[in-house]
Amino acid sequence: MPLHRQFANDGKELIIAIKGKFDFGLVQEFRQAYGNVGDQQPTVFIDLRETEYLDSSALGMLLNMRKSLGKSVKGIHIINCRPEVRSILDISRFDKLFVIE
Amino acid sequence: MDTFVELSSSTASLCVVGDGSVFAQTVANKLDQHGEFEVSWYTPETFLGLAELPQHPVLLLIDGEAELSSTVGALLRRSYPVALLVSNTASLLAKYAGQMTDVLLWPAPAELLNARINILQRLQDTHAQLDAMRHSLAWHKARVEREHQLVEHIFQNALSRNYLDFKHVHTYLTPVSKFNGDLCLISPGPLGNIYMLMADFTGHGLAPATGALPLSQAFFAMADRGVSVAEMVTEFNFRMNRLLPNDMFCAAFLLELSANGERVTYWNGGMPPALLFDQQGIILKRLPPAHMALGVIDDDEFDSRVGTFRAPPNSSIALFTDGVTELLGHQQKFLGSDALEVLLSKYPRTADFSRLVEELEHFRGETPLHDDLSLAILTCLPTGLGEATPEPDQFGLPFSFDVLLKPEHLSTIDPVGHILSALSQLPYLRRHRTTIYLFLAEAFNNALEHGLLGLDSTLKHDPDGFAEYYQLRQERLLELTEGEIRIHVTFDTKLKQLSVQVSDSGTGVALLDDNHDLTQSYGRGLELLRQMTTDLHWDQTTRTVSFKYSF
Repeated sequence: MPLHRQFANDGKELIIAIKGKFDFGLVQEFRQAYGNVGDQQPTVFIDLRETEYLDSSALGMLLNMRKSLGKSVKGIHIINCRPEVRSILDISRFDKLFVIE
Repeated sequence: MDTFVELSSSTASLCVVGDGSVFAQTVANKLDQHGEFEVSWYTPETFLGLAELPQHPVLLLIDGEAELSSTVGALLRRSYPVALLVSNTASLLAKYAGQMTDVLLWPAPAELLNARINILQRLQDTHAQLDAMRHSLAWHKARVEREHQLVEHIFQNALSRNYLDFKHVHTYLTPVSKFNGDLCLISPGPLGNIYMLMADFTGHGLAPATGALPLSQAFFAMADRGVSVAEMVTEFNFRMNRLLPNDMFCAAFLLELSANGERVTYWNGGMPPALLFDQQGIILKRLPPAHMALGVIDDDEFDSRVGTFRAPPNSSIALFTDGVTELLGHQQKFLGSDALEVLLSKYPRTADFSRLVEELEHFRGETPLHDDLSLAILTCLPTGLGEATPEPDQFGLPFSFDVLLKPEHLSTIDPVGHILSALSQLPYLRRHRTTIYLFLAEAFNNALEHGLLGLDSTLKHDPDGFAEYYQLRQERLLELTEGEIRIHVTFDTKLKQLSVQVSDSGTGVALLDDNHDLTQSYGRGLELLRQMTTDLHWDQTTRTVSFKYSF
């Protein structure tokens, strides 16, 4: 499964992990993954530990998520980036819009 | 046990040693009247001269009223597995009764003598049986020991890369027997993160330890890949469920600490609550089991949901098996989880670990362990492990390749993905595959979406439009009947530089998107290319975008 979605800590955290290639091929699946975050105002974690490839469409999808979730979540963290992924996010200045750890 | 000795046949064999006296002759005559026994006759001299004692009951016929010759004395002082001494004086019988199985005062009824001999025969059979069993047991013991050695060797190899020496971990692992039914595994991940698994198979000894082999192999392989805790436990459960018999399972606590030592992700299936405590010894958090042990639940019902928290710097997490809390002390009392918390509060610092262990050992005293005992304490600090970096490449391979993609290729395969799976095998390139993928994908998608398919990026300005854009991309791609995209890549080993040209035959506006609004969900392709590559150039006449990337 290229996308894995799971709540943790009794719904206070939503973890979405993307494996392999993160691009427009996941556009519907990714939207569904954050479509129902519940009313607990969770923190969303995008786990990119196994993301090998991504392109600008993935960045667009992340921004769309940020837009549509707005205040319904406590924050969006992008976690476990490999160095190459991290530098792509940095070039796109995603550190200003997301918490990158 | 597969070796049994057959009981002797109905005719009992007997060694009769007479001292040559009239008394001995008298008894001998009575003895074989019915031919009930198969008798070998001996004089004291011939009997003592035997190199080996026969495996039959011995009957000694000694005249107690005569003076004993030294040979007869030697005969009486020997020890026999099964022997009956018959004599005409009670004093002689009393004197040598200790060496004999039985004694009989003569005269006695012949039936009684025969009955006694039959008893001796049965005793002899029992002796022979015991002997055979002893041999067989010794053989089995030697075999088991050899097999244990082999298995031990396999375990050592399987666990050779267990990173128990990680500087922020302290462990106290004590199995009941040679093989541990508990398992404490530590492995670094590729992102500088660290994984720890504490597992406890049902029972202890070799059988449960066997489960440690597949579990540890899966653990290390997945840790190398940097797999998430949820996915790891799902795989573990899958394996244990298929492997373990119904009455056996594996309680497990898996945790991952991020490279910065702050973020902890854990899954607890049937293990005692791990404890998070600070340097002052205050228990900050208990991490109770939220799930069943591994190997109990089928895949579709398995719950891989994890818990996460942020560990304060220098706090520690104690993972332990129930062997610790159920440690039986010298006063026949269990340690219990409260007492363990008291101990951790008393010795919260890593420097105190040896004293904590001393206290545990003091509590136990000389009481034998009844379960494997495992305690591991991880201190939450930046792991200092660094990211896994492959060996730097020494030599490059100069190459150049050219791909011409027609509509039938464009609509059926993923060209950039395929190109990357080939390129990522090459020296230098594999370490940059994510970046190479990105700029090839940007250039290719630009040529396809704008050049050939004439899509308009502004459609992507809202989430619905974004999805619609890619829907449209798919539809137009399937309808595409003409046009082509050429991708040309050259690698210069001297400059360590990759040159890329992507051209399309389209008519659409193939100028790269240019958008400087940070939060817009489209139009960052050009910006990414600009930042990551050099010599970026668009040639309108040949409809070619070209750029270079240096390693």
